[in-house]
Amino acid sequence: MGYLDKEKTEELNKIKRERKIGNLGSPKNPFDYYDREYGTVPRDTERAPFQWVSEVAYKNVHRIVARGYDTTELMEEGYGVIEVLFVDYQARIPTVEEGQMLNYVMILALEDGLSAPAAISRIVARSKTFLTQACGASIMAFGHAYGAYSAFGNRLERYLDRVDKGEFSLEAAAELLVKENLHDEALGVSGLMLKDPAAKRMIARAEKLGVAGKYSAFTGEVVKAAQKAFDEPVDLDMLGATGATMMDLGFTPEATWAILAVTRSFAAGAHYIEEVEREESNRLGQELTPMEDYDGPAERPVPPLSERDKHAKSAVCRTPEEWKARFEEMKNVRGSGFSIVEEIEDPSKKSGIKKVGKL
Amino acid sequence: MDRDPLIRRKTAISYKTEDKTVMRGYNLSDLAEEGYSFYDAMFVLFQNRIPTENEEKMLKYEMGVFLEHSMSPSAVGAIGVSAGRPNLPVCVAAAVSTFGGVHGPGAAHGYMLNKYLERAKKEGKTVDEMAKTLVDEYLDAGRPVMGMGQPQHIDSDPRAEPIHLRQEELELEGVYLEFQRALEKYFHARRKKEGRSYVGVNVVGSGNTALMEIGFSPNAGWCIGSVVRGFSCAAHALFNMKKGRAWGASRNEPMVQMIDLSMIKYVGPEDRIVPKKEEQQEYARKQKEEGEYKKWVI
Repeated sequence: MGYLDKEKTEELNKIKRERKIGNLGSPKNPFDYYDREYGTVPRDTERAPFQWVSEVAYKNVHRIVARGYDTTELMEEGYGVIEVLFVDYQARIPTVEEGQMLNYVMILALEDGLSAPAAISRIVARSKTFLTQACGASIMAFGHAYGAYSAFGNRLERYLDRVDKGEFSLEAAAELLVKENLHDEALGVSGLMLKDPAAKRMIARAEKLGVAGKYSAFTGEVVKAAQKAFDEPVDLDMLGATGATMMDLGFTPEATWAILAVTRSFAAGAHYIEEVEREESNRLGQELTPMEDYDGPAERPVPPLSERDKHAKSAVCRTPEEWKARFEEMKNVRGSGFSIVEEIEDPSKKSGIKKVGKL
Repeated sequence: MDRDPLIRRKTAISYKTEDKTVMRGYNLSDLAEEGYSFYDAMFVLFQNRIPTENEEKMLKYEMGVFLEHSMSPSAVGAIGVSAGRPNLPVCVAAAVSTFGGVHGPGAAHGYMLNKYLERAKKEGKTVDEMAKTLVDEYLDAGRPVMGMGQPQHIDSDPRAEPIHLRQEELELEGVYLEFQRALEKYFHARRKKEGRSYVGVNVVGSGNTALMEIGFSPNAGWCIGSVVRGFSCAAHALFNMKKGRAWGASRNEPMVQMIDLSMIKYVGPEDRIVPKKEEQQEYARKQKEEGEYKKWVI
């Protein structure tokens, strides 16, 4: 389409300038709103045209290639999902032992009973959706508490970096990590696996296969430090064992997060299927919320609209003191969000390639 | 710490106590210690059984070959979502959710085969005869035959025939492969007779046939196919999050970005004057009467 021609543009702008549109004529605006172009931005011929840039894979009419390996040829040679995960995320073929260890980890990550991914999958299933919608939703359950492999792994890396720089010994770094993150859900040490040996068996298997490395060693130190710091018994949990093992296999914290969330999603699919098979669908408005579970304001009459001014209360605060007082007051309104303080960070490490696509 | 389940359900899939997680009766940790593969675990999960060696090999092949497909709706979905820099799982969830009636429609293919196999039994027809019936009915109705055709791999999907061949090599030829092979034969013959171009079998046509043959239901097969793709889509999203440009519109990149303003081609109504609020009623009535807007309704 491109921009509208000059004559029509001026004609339209003139009409609008004369009609006046709200505040658009204000001199505070950063440009003249009555002198704007119409139509879309013309094609950029100064730069290379858009293409999907990838280091991971390409395909053409006759082949699909991941990190240089034709995927059909990989399968014909006897490789499978386990090896392709190393290819996609690390651009390499794993050793047999590394493959065996990833296989072990993925079996353990597959099923976790009626925890969040399965529960979400089942809730979505009740709306009569596609299976894929429920599987996708199950992956959304992975955050920085449940399945917190990104938070866990990046933290290990941060403290290990400081060890590498000579700031601390491994033991001192572990103690500091525990001190600074004692009650964080992504510590990898908790009371969750005191009776279940699965986490320790995983580390033992990694050691037996010769694939245990610095991350499981450091996690071991974190366990010792945490056991000293906590009043109640704690030990290595599945997050700690799985996260450390995956990083020893060379996966980044983000790759670990994705691989294990997707692995869990297979079982979430089975939960979707069982929910559809055994339960009924939900309709809009079907579920009731019992009054005894409600602890908000008591029932009250809706004020007449004509009396809005009498009942309305402005949120505008004119001073920081007023602002602070209102902020604290609003913390009592559950669901308003004032009790939550968090930072929404850019989870990526950097932005921009700057070397791809030069003409 | 509250360890009650988020929802309460009777389930035949698994249970989890303080000392173990048990899936279909097998302690997961013991399953891994014994040396079973992740593919074996898929059979336990969806079929409540340990598979034969060849069945395990077939699933390994199918899942591995389906995992990576470079730029498909699923990868593009993941990359598109990653532009806003949410948490990585959101990109993967979007990717898996792209699988529907056209992209990787494994369940649709499976239900189609099951429906016609059921009819073959009921109508006393052979598998071969029923495959012809299916092709004729679908093409007469102008419906796409599930498992045939791929918009990028126009000479047939490079993964498709090798999957059939591996299934035969592993001696896993059953009623599904017989049906699918016959379906392809009649499909090609009819298109040729009508002077239409060649449309090959796609990876759903061959891969889902193999999955059904080794005992997976249409939905279980769909789950395996679409979720395994999530692995590679996560890699594509991650590459873009770590090395690509956030937002996808920067003018500082040497290559025009995915949602650069110049990538927009608008074909809707021409620019027009917004009516004043006091003109609204008359304007809107006239617009409804003229009805020109109807051609834009979606």
